[in-house]
Amino acid sequence: MGAMMMLEAAFTMFLTMLLTIPGMMLIIGALAVPVLPLPARNAYMLVLIAISGWSVWHISPDETMTATLAGIDLILVRGEAITKPFALVFHIAAALNVIYAMHENAKITATAGLTYAGAAIAALFAGDFLTLFIYWELTTFASVFLVLAGDSSRAMRAAMRYLLMQVASGVILLAGAVLLWRAGAGFTITALDATTPAGFCILLAFGIKAGFPLLGGWLQDAYPEASPTGSVMLSAFTTKLAIYMLVICFAGFKPLIYIGLAMAVIPLFAALIENNLRRVLAIALVNQLGIMVVGIGIGSELAVNGVTAHAFASVLYKGLLFMSIGAVFMRTGTDQADALGGLSRQMPWTAAFCLIGALSIASMPLFSGFTTKALTIGAVAKQGELLVWLGLLFASVGVVLHTAVKLPYATFFAPNDKIKAEEAPLNMRVAMALAAGGCILIGLYPSALYALLPYEVSYKVWDSGHVLGELQLLAFAALIFALMVRRGIYPLHGARVVLYSDWLTRRVIPRIIIGLGEPLMKIWNALKDGSVALTLRALRTSEEASRATGLASGIASTGAAAGIFLAVFALILLIRVLM
Amino acid sequence: MSGKTETSRTGRRVMRALPTLCALLLVGEIIIHRHAYFALEATPLFFALFGGVAACLVVGGSMLMSRLITRAPDYYGGDDDA
Repeated sequence: MGAMMMLEAAFTMFLTMLLTIPGMMLIIGALAVPVLPLPARNAYMLVLIAISGWSVWHISPDETMTATLAGIDLILVRGEAITKPFALVFHIAAALNVIYAMHENAKITATAGLTYAGAAIAALFAGDFLTLFIYWELTTFASVFLVLAGDSSRAMRAAMRYLLMQVASGVILLAGAVLLWRAGAGFTITALDATTPAGFCILLAFGIKAGFPLLGGWLQDAYPEASPTGSVMLSAFTTKLAIYMLVICFAGFKPLIYIGLAMAVIPLFAALIENNLRRVLAIALVNQLGIMVVGIGIGSELAVNGVTAHAFASVLYKGLLFMSIGAVFMRTGTDQADALGGLSRQMPWTAAFCLIGALSIASMPLFSGFTTKALTIGAVAKQGELLVWLGLLFASVGVVLHTAVKLPYATFFAPNDKIKAEEAPLNMRVAMALAAGGCILIGLYPSALYALLPYEVSYKVWDSGHVLGELQLLAFAALIFALMVRRGIYPLHGARVVLYSDWLTRRVIPRIIIGLGEPLMKIWNALKDGSVALTLRALRTSEEASRATGLASGIASTGAAAGIFLAVFALILLIRVLM
Repeated sequence: MSGKTETSRTGRRVMRALPTLCALLLVGEIIIHRHAYFALEATPLFFALFGGVAACLVVGGSMLMSRLITRAPDYYGGDDDA
């Protein structure tokens, strides 16, 4: 009877957790995905996402759920005003991913994708760093399977580097959390001072996942190596989760303005010369994250609204661009710009959706980038940060060139009568159509998104002067670029590898390790050989002494030799442990 | 009709439309008043000039950087990165 009651209590607790912790339904529900046949699997995942989305939509702003583990108070659920828009767009992305991948019978990708989405959603609601750490690591271990789905030795190597960087982020996060706890601040997620050791560690952990300069090489390394469906899933969650956490903990931390500006501007050059179009998108993603990080550094209400709105829109248009290039990759077997072109007649729907994504990311009026990025750029202007404002305009021009002009032109409109491809499967087109619809809806009717933002929006985005200025910026940049390409001043693409921050993890760090490893191995071998020789010599001396002077002396010599042997053995052991 | 002819035609159409659009946007500058946060922003044709100059800088910067940061396609050794 007692056992039954305990079982019943455990079941009730499990059910409560399943229904109360947002995202948990997807994490637990993913366990059933591998055993379900198609098409029931897809329907099951969509139903789960719909129920989870519905519960998040109706979650009370002051909803909390706490638990105590080994004397530590954990806040399993805690919503902020900013949480709902992020959670909502994560659900939309999860659903679009399922639709986009419906033609595949890839159980591992589907399971990993649903777990990844669930962990990212649950992480948004985590109220303490230990709970966050668990979901943070779960997103890592689930998403690495999406990179591995690229199914090549390059994908496997990229996945290992990806895993290394993501785990490093988790470990640094945990170290920061422990430092915070030791400083007496507990584990609660709250605004932090980045100049303290704990704050710095946590900023670094978020920075790795947000693609900070020199720390974000994993992004352009791993995303292009994933399968077409995998890269779409990857583009949605990890980086936006990091942006969300940066808002919660570091809004108003001024150095972030300059970190963000570097992220927004530096990738432009690499993206323009990159030949691999999925890598172009991955590098351009860092550029978009940079604009968000600038907004976090500004930290005003308008800026936080801007970051939230931009992150929401970016999940849709970035996902749409990855979907369209992924569809091209699936149909043609290549994502190299110099091998593509001329697909606008063969894949007209995909071309149209790609253009919508391109116009959205370029902030063309009537598309989502215009109505969302304007808030952040407006917040920068209101703060009187002229140089930062000019930097963001410069970044906007770069996006027009590499993503709005180069990418669709190289894929769909550049002369190429050799390539043959079919239009993308229906499910892919439906997913792209839904994402494209979202981009247009946010562009035409931004107040629906503004209503979800953490603060009231009083910014007048549809100011005629603002529209004119934006159109002039885009049109003149496109005209100059088109003229340069047409007159052969700028060669649009060519087979090459562009060294970017992933160069550090792919080439520099391995070389350093190998470079350091060789001398260390030599020292190790010398120590090992020397110690063996020393021990043998000591034993021989002892033996000779015992033969010459009798037993007592022999015992003493043998004892000395044994002492030397043990000391050398301890030294070897110590070196081995250290190495 | 071959893909090449069609895409070349699309390119020609875009190249014809872009200068016309730019000209219209310059005319719009006379009609529409722009609210400016900075004195620099209030300069006539600021955004048009900035767009053109920034495009030149991005392209020029990319061409310069390409000498530094581009390598042969097999730089990472194909499948073997290290």
